[in-house]
Amino acid sequence: MNILKGLSKESVLGLIALVLTIGMCIIAPGFLSQQNISNMLFQIPEFGLIALGMMVVIVTGGINLSITYSAALSGVAIAIMQSHGYSILISILVGLVVGLLCGFINGFIVSKIGVSAILVTLGTMTLFEGVILTITKGNSISGFSEAYSLIGNGYYMGLVPLSLLIFVIFAVLTAILMNKSKWGRNVYMLGSNPIATLFSGVNTNKVLMGVYLYSALLAAVASIIMTSRYNMAKVDLGSSYLLQSVSAAVLGGTDIQGGYGKVMGTIYAVIIFQVLSSGLNLLEVPRSIVGIIMGAILILVLILNFVKAKVDEKSQKKAQQETLVA
Amino acid sequence: MKKLLGAILSVVLMVGLLAGCVSSNSGTTSKANGSENADKSGKLKIAVVPKLIGIPYFNASEKGAVQAGKDLGVDVIYTGPTEADAAQQVKVIEDLISQKVDVIAVAPNDQAALTPVLKKAKDAGIKVMDWDTPADQSVVDLSVHQIDDEAYGRHITKSLVEQMGTEKGEIAILTGGLSAANLNSWIDGAKKELEENYPGLKLVSDKIATDEKQPVAYQKTLDLIKSYPDLKGIMAFSTIAPLGAAQAIQEKGLQDKIAIIGANLPKDSIPFLEDGALDLAILWEPDKLGYLTVALAKDLAEGKMPQDGQEVKNVGKIEVWEDGKTVIMGPPTDFTKENAGNYDF
Repeated sequence: MNILKGLSKESVLGLIALVLTIGMCIIAPGFLSQQNISNMLFQIPEFGLIALGMMVVIVTGGINLSITYSAALSGVAIAIMQSHGYSILISILVGLVVGLLCGFINGFIVSKIGVSAILVTLGTMTLFEGVILTITKGNSISGFSEAYSLIGNGYYMGLVPLSLLIFVIFAVLTAILMNKSKWGRNVYMLGSNPIATLFSGVNTNKVLMGVYLYSALLAAVASIIMTSRYNMAKVDLGSSYLLQSVSAAVLGGTDIQGGYGKVMGTIYAVIIFQVLSSGLNLLEVPRSIVGIIMGAILILVLILNFVKAKVDEKSQKKAQQETLVA
Repeated sequence: MKKLLGAILSVVLMVGLLAGCVSSNSGTTSKANGSENADKSGKLKIAVVPKLIGIPYFNASEKGAVQAGKDLGVDVIYTGPTEADAAQQVKVIEDLISQKVDVIAVAPNDQAALTPVLKKAKDAGIKVMDWDTPADQSVVDLSVHQIDDEAYGRHITKSLVEQMGTEKGEIAILTGGLSAANLNSWIDGAKKELEENYPGLKLVSDKIATDEKQPVAYQKTLDLIKSYPDLKGIMAFSTIAPLGAAQAIQEKGLQDKIAIIGANLPKDSIPFLEDGALDLAILWEPDKLGYLTVALAKDLAEGKMPQDGQEVKNVGKIEVWEDGKTVIMGPPTDFTKENAGNYDF
């Protein structure tokens, strides 16, 4: 325990990610092969973006259950635009606008009307799903141009996957916005105590609206990568990421009650999920067992964080008492 | 807010720019590793990917696939997504490419979604085939179908008429999901038969989706009975929907009034078949399909293509279409209350 004391939650997680990666390099055959590394680099961005989008909402004490469906909706919008012959740029812009509109609906109901986030996003999840089903009749929409498929499948300078680069840019942007901007400060403050935030003169409605818009933006960017990678848009595009993204955010140290959460932690969590999934696969562990292992690790890390928080609290109290006595 | 918008806009533009420089530089690295498939043990590695794992149907086909692996002396990896999600399935296949298998046989959750990754597999020197549900025909070397879709749909309509004992009345169609390609083509076949041969039968609504969930099928059937009191028959496509429908019929005591034909597995249907709520379950034997897939995959890896009328051990005679790569396993099997107990899936 003592070794861990000086480290933040995120650094502990980073260490776990590092140990796992090294471990997999040793035991999993072909983990370092070019094929596997490029697989992992291509698989991380879409999930990472959605996890970040989930994290910013969880920091405010909310949750965004409609995140994957708003992504799917912008994906469908892009697919329809593309298959009707519009240029890539216009299609992407339309996709982003549709995504932001989804975010606006969530943000409006949560901030202005004040319904709790879990109920609102549960509702909009069904709403978006219904809208997509009405548009697509449940079929997948395809017909992307060759150039569009490069966003998710191409390499930048023939070395780094373009999608990874997009992810890094957005991760840095998120970190800057959350840590350095006034809005970011307000987001954390809102998450730890909404009433105090309101009375300290912050327009909480605006802050919340920003959070849901930003979350939807990240989802829309993820959907651009996904539609490009999978060459189609469909009602359940990426739906398996919904709960995974919640687990990644929580594993990354985000407080589910709001007020705390770091971009780096979430990224470490995404890396841990990826390394485990790819490594265990190479070891030919059945998928269902992979699920069990992931769940076990999630619970283990959460317990570790909990115990660490308790220990820190105790030592703080002790220190206080000592100063009082002295 | 303004600052935020500004930041977002500039990033969007930046991404646009980046996308611009990428188009010329990519696509070169994907062909890096060619044919390094030689396994140390010399055994062929055949990967069979279902739509999802952990449901009775695909568990049964797993049994057949694994058995075939033992019989034929090949390594069978049976792995798939835990949800019927195309994105997850793409990942599974990418991982299989890293494992350097010799053949990948996949039952796609979505045709278009798998095309790029299957092309990648081909570039890596892996033979690609589909089973259970067709993939994009331009990328597969072999396509294994359990059944002739249209003939199957027609067979279900005919059986329904037989069970109803009349060629007049109102009927309904339940389906697992609106986007499942195979279910849709069966339903098209069933509808064709209706239009051509049974003008007296009236469909009360378009096909009704049940989300592959028994409670949903149960609820929708109750709604149907309420809205259309004269309903005489239901065709339930998917392995889950017939169970929910039969449950509703059983509860309402309408066994003799409404006939149900389901595309489901015998073991789950025994209680409903015995009770008479479900009149007939029609499907193929999924374990045989798994077996056939592995057997043909092995032949494919050794450079042998299937022949029309070829006898496959433990499966039977198969039919091969004129294109030389579409294989039909055989006619469907009717599961009745008399024979349903003989199967363990």
